[in-house]
Amino acid sequence: MKKKSRADDLIRSGLNRGQRALSEYESKKLLGLYGIPVTREKLSHSADEAVSVAEGLGFPVALKACSAELMHKSERGGIELNLRSKGDVREAYRRITQDIDLELDGVLVQEMVPGQRELVAGLNRDSQFGPCVMLGIGGIMTEVFQDTVFRMAPFDMIEAKDMAEELRFKTILGAFRGQKPVDMDVLCRTLIAVGQIGLELEAVSELDINPMIITLEGRVVAVDALVVLGRDVK
Amino acid sequence: MMKSIEASPLYPIANPKSIALFGASNNASSMGTSLLDSVLDLGFEGEIYPVHLKENQVQNLKAYRSVLDLPKVPDLALIVLPTRLVSETMDACGRKGIKHAIVISGGFKEVGGNGVELEKDLVAVAKKHDMRFLGPNCIGVANPRQKLNTTFMVFEGGPGFIGMASQSGSFVTQMFTYLSDYGLGFSTAFSVGNEANIDIVDCMEYLGACPDTKVIALYIEGIRRGRAFVEMARSIVPKKPIVAFYIGGSEAGSRAGLSHTGALAGPDRLYEGIFRQSGIIRARSIMEMFDYCWILGSLPKSTGRRVLIQTHSGGPGAEAADACGRAGLELPSLSPETIKRLRPLMPHTGSISNPLDLTFAKNVTDYFSEIPKALLEEKKADCLLFYFFTPSRRLRRMLRQAGVAPDHIAEQAAKMVDFQSDAVLRLIKTHDKPFVGYTFQSVTDQLLKRLVERGVPIFPGPERAARAIEAAYRYRCLRDKILVSASHKEAASRQETDRGWTK
Repeated sequence: MKKKSRADDLIRSGLNRGQRALSEYESKKLLGLYGIPVTREKLSHSADEAVSVAEGLGFPVALKACSAELMHKSERGGIELNLRSKGDVREAYRRITQDIDLELDGVLVQEMVPGQRELVAGLNRDSQFGPCVMLGIGGIMTEVFQDTVFRMAPFDMIEAKDMAEELRFKTILGAFRGQKPVDMDVLCRTLIAVGQIGLELEAVSELDINPMIITLEGRVVAVDALVVLGRDVK
Repeated sequence: MMKSIEASPLYPIANPKSIALFGASNNASSMGTSLLDSVLDLGFEGEIYPVHLKENQVQNLKAYRSVLDLPKVPDLALIVLPTRLVSETMDACGRKGIKHAIVISGGFKEVGGNGVELEKDLVAVAKKHDMRFLGPNCIGVANPRQKLNTTFMVFEGGPGFIGMASQSGSFVTQMFTYLSDYGLGFSTAFSVGNEANIDIVDCMEYLGACPDTKVIALYIEGIRRGRAFVEMARSIVPKKPIVAFYIGGSEAGSRAGLSHTGALAGPDRLYEGIFRQSGIIRARSIMEMFDYCWILGSLPKSTGRRVLIQTHSGGPGAEAADACGRAGLELPSLSPETIKRLRPLMPHTGSISNPLDLTFAKNVTDYFSEIPKALLEEKKADCLLFYFFTPSRRLRRMLRQAGVAPDHIAEQAAKMVDFQSDAVLRLIKTHDKPFVGYTFQSVTDQLLKRLVERGVPIFPGPERAARAIEAAYRYRCLRDKILVSASHKEAASRQETDRGWTK
């Protein structure tokens, strides 16, 4: 159970700092431990560092203010997308650190994942059913479409596939405007992994992966993530 | 899974040989007395021991001052007493050695306040004596085959194949006549009340093992043992369909989560997924739940989604086609062989396609025999949806017009009804493809009454029929999903074992 102990370390250090949630960076590290594909990204602490990380990742990149206190970054002006040059990165770094009135862990420099199809996946704890996994149409329209399905964890690949089947707008999982159908195997494994997080990590009270982008080639990638921590943790 | 149905705590509750009854008196208007009336009305064949502090006789039965005075230990205690007396009565039953009870009395957890404490007491008393009980705040059980009806409503109708567990007592008692009109009935129906001891999952286990139950119906407002519920359902569904009608709590503001997931996890959506994961078919209303039970309990085997429609006129055919489309069913076209078979049977105005619209019957006999036979044998379809349109008064007129002497019309009409019902029943018997009817006539009409009494599902209007066929198809999909999942699990564990051997 190496991944569990490493996930516990991540959670414990967050709790020790009094966090109610993990930052995006920490959240994705946790997802990564459970095999969920996440964006390539690195935390930077200066404009220079941000530029060199961006060069390492390849342009375009996204810059995101990173702090466990920032649960809804886009509403706070903490995100700059599609930065195509060193100048863009420098300017974005300056703006984010100036505008966000919070002590940041740093600024996250992240690959841009091309794809117009956005899903949401998540974990919720129900008092009767325990950890339950959600899949839905994600992005900024999540609450508009409200196309979401739930399953109690654990479940197998067949059940995960049935979740996708149950979506009203499941057609976007197929071939879509020149983009490949979603890699169903990876999508299903991701859903199973979210359930596993719920079963193994009691301190995780809620989890959101939104958006989880379906790339042009059909890969799924967690582009933003939020792990909410419960209060009653040993 | 239980070894046998006798191992269920509900077995003695649904099949008692003797009952101690608390709360019945010679006061005709008391609830306990109504309940005793119900038990007697249905002709319960076991012993009944009324327990009453003052009376020597209750409704012509010898009464006992205390449960401890009973000549033997009854299988079941039925308690309909004021709330404050329930725990002590339960304790006395425990001391007598009674192991099973139904607590009808209300005033417990459902009223809050002191009721919560009273319920805790009751649970503790039962535990002390190792007793199992249904309720409190329920109406008990109806098991018409055992002539047992512990509800205060008069039982009407006969036994059937629907096993029910309900979080509302009314959906047991108020449905007696509704079901019997359609030739349906309960195998056993439980009202679970507050589920302080026995809950809906226990009921599912019992009904899953009950040989008279072909389909299980659940009315659910909330599930308490969530994980056990899912596992129990998944263990039953491969053998028996389960249909549920759920009314959830309010969606808005039900959760104040920090995440999208938390905000979106309203009870209705969550239950939707839980039912699907459990292999349970969800209905939109109580009547729809019983429609689904009807089709699932009466079809010879599971069905696909390709439907053929037979009607005698355009409108009812078009509506049926539209209803099938909206229910997610397919309407395949007819194969050349079927068209060839149908051509000589069809009037020149008819249309040989799907829906098959006769416009008028060239020969009434064919409408009920050769034509549906050809459709049932169509390889491209899974199910026949058949329109019933001729009420018996019309049959009589047809006979009059055909010159049958007035005093022979009744006899001739009866013969025609015999012929038609025999023809339909023969079709069903000789084909394992589902035959489903729809009509705008009353099911009390001669022909329809006879058919529904023999278990043929004939729905009021095509929409209900189409949705029911879709539910039957959905059952097959859900069952297969669980079976495939189980076989994968088995294969995986076999592999594990094999690996273990080679190590």
